[in-house]
Amino acid sequence: MAAGLLELGELFVVLAVAGAVALRIGLSVIPLYVVGGMAAGPFVAGRLGVPYVPNGELLTVLAEVGIVLLLFFLGLEFSLDRLLASRSAITRAGVIDVAINLPLGIALGLALGWSVVEALLLGGIVYISSSAIVTKTLIDLGWIANEEAEPILGTLVFEDLFIAVYLAVVTSLVLGGGGGAGGLGGVARSLAIAFGFLGLLLVAVQYGTAFFARVLDVPETEAFVLRTLAVVVPVAGVALALGVSEAVAAFFVGMGFSTSGHRERIEQLLTPVRDVFAAVFFFWIGVGTDPLTLATVAVPLVAAVVLTTPAKVLSGYFGGQAYGLSERRSLRVGVGLVPRGEFSLVIAALAASGSTPVLQETIPALAVGYVLVMSGLGTVLMQRSDVVETIVGRIRPVDGASR
Amino acid sequence: MTVYESDLPGVGKKHEIDLPDGSQLVVVTHNEGRREVFQRPTPDADSEKLFELPDDLARQVGTILEGAYFQPVESKSVETLLGGDTLLEWVEIDADSPVAGQTLGEADLRQETGASVVAIERGDAVMPSPGSDTTIEAGDTLVVVGSREAYKAFESQVIDGAESDDGPDGG
Repeated sequence: MAAGLLELGELFVVLAVAGAVALRIGLSVIPLYVVGGMAAGPFVAGRLGVPYVPNGELLTVLAEVGIVLLLFFLGLEFSLDRLLASRSAITRAGVIDVAINLPLGIALGLALGWSVVEALLLGGIVYISSSAIVTKTLIDLGWIANEEAEPILGTLVFEDLFIAVYLAVVTSLVLGGGGGAGGLGGVARSLAIAFGFLGLLLVAVQYGTAFFARVLDVPETEAFVLRTLAVVVPVAGVALALGVSEAVAAFFVGMGFSTSGHRERIEQLLTPVRDVFAAVFFFWIGVGTDPLTLATVAVPLVAAVVLTTPAKVLSGYFGGQAYGLSERRSLRVGVGLVPRGEFSLVIAALAASGSTPVLQETIPALAVGYVLVMSGLGTVLMQRSDVVETIVGRIRPVDGASR
Repeated sequence: MTVYESDLPGVGKKHEIDLPDGSQLVVVTHNEGRREVFQRPTPDADSEKLFELPDDLARQVGTILEGAYFQPVESKSVETLLGGDTLLEWVEIDADSPVAGQTLGEADLRQETGASVVAIERGDAVMPSPGSDTTIEAGDTLVVVGSREAYKAFESQVIDGAESDDGPDGG
């Protein structure tokens, strides 16, 4: 008991310090939370013989709540109406994005000699941009007032929807024995359970607006927060117990709450709760990562960074063109989508629950290394987009670069 | 004047306003209430941030810009658009107004102009929904609701026609 509390204490000290460092050097908190977890975990602090935070059940469950709340908020802010309102532009930009980046990651995984499921996970990891890092950097740099903000945020909306469907499928593939043990029948069965459960949940969410509205119709802040958690966490728990993606279940519950008329209050009151658990999730990812295994994935890591950075810039560029932006602004869209973060790590956490060595070790290590590089690189590229524009302009004249 | 509105998913809303000098004013309203105001010198240029305000301060500054705190153009009336073409206006009654001393019923302004008096401000007191037997006194301020056209008719009825410098008061 005392040991557990002491470990949590260490966790919060490390997170607070990591957050302070992030503020000081102007980098996203996500990579610093991960590095903090790595430093405080068994592989660094443990080897140095100082008190460390073990990768125990307590930490895992708290991190799981972080995943659930991250996806819950995604669903909360996800508006099908908004997607439909500007569907042609968002869909075109989003389809270009997924059609370029997902197959590239899958191809890289297959080239490494991995199975289809393993390659599919890598595809997701390199495809999905970080809503948290991208949105914050857009605001910090003032790009939010420029034309490139709409295609960037629109593409993120499309990615959010895509990742919900994607997670539902790959969770079944990973947990349903896609590694080979369960065979095709096992996969089919777990896919049927997943889509059956999520389908029921979606129907409940569609017709449950009145229920959601009534549950949250309470003036006391404390009761409001507890009731929200009392819906989303159990539903996610049931999903996971059935072998269905708890993240997607949380996403759907978020969608249900978004139309209840309580969306703004939830955002106001639960954002700090989400941020605390999300920080624990990033920390947990770090705790489970041995820095030495990062060295063993150096080659695929470099390959992933070198291939997927220009690919994302290119797909974003075409996305910007789909919105009718100038070449220079379109290039900004590409640069703005480079940062990867929380969702790549959610996919990595899913992979870690698989059964093959690649799923359990290689993919999580690769994802952590990839997010550490891409969160930093993406932010720097956005800050120095003038340099990127000059370089691209030299390779290929960009209209408006001289304006 | 054209105002463009667009959604910023997960962030808030963006309004772009064309300014007379060819630049654009960009207001980003965050979901949590903060307003950021940018100026874009030319359509191609990057937006330059001018300032940002928290929600409550933005509303206060907004009322100053709107003219609710202070009317820069001297006028006898203050107008607020209720939506559609309906105005809410305040009209001061001079001593030489033809309706000064008459009751609302005698003046019969609603019948003649289409605009109704919804309240009368007299000194510090406010009389809401005044009846037809209420007398209009010099120095009263009438609070009037009606269409722009009805209000114009109302204004010419109650304000002494001798005042010809009434032109620029926006009515």
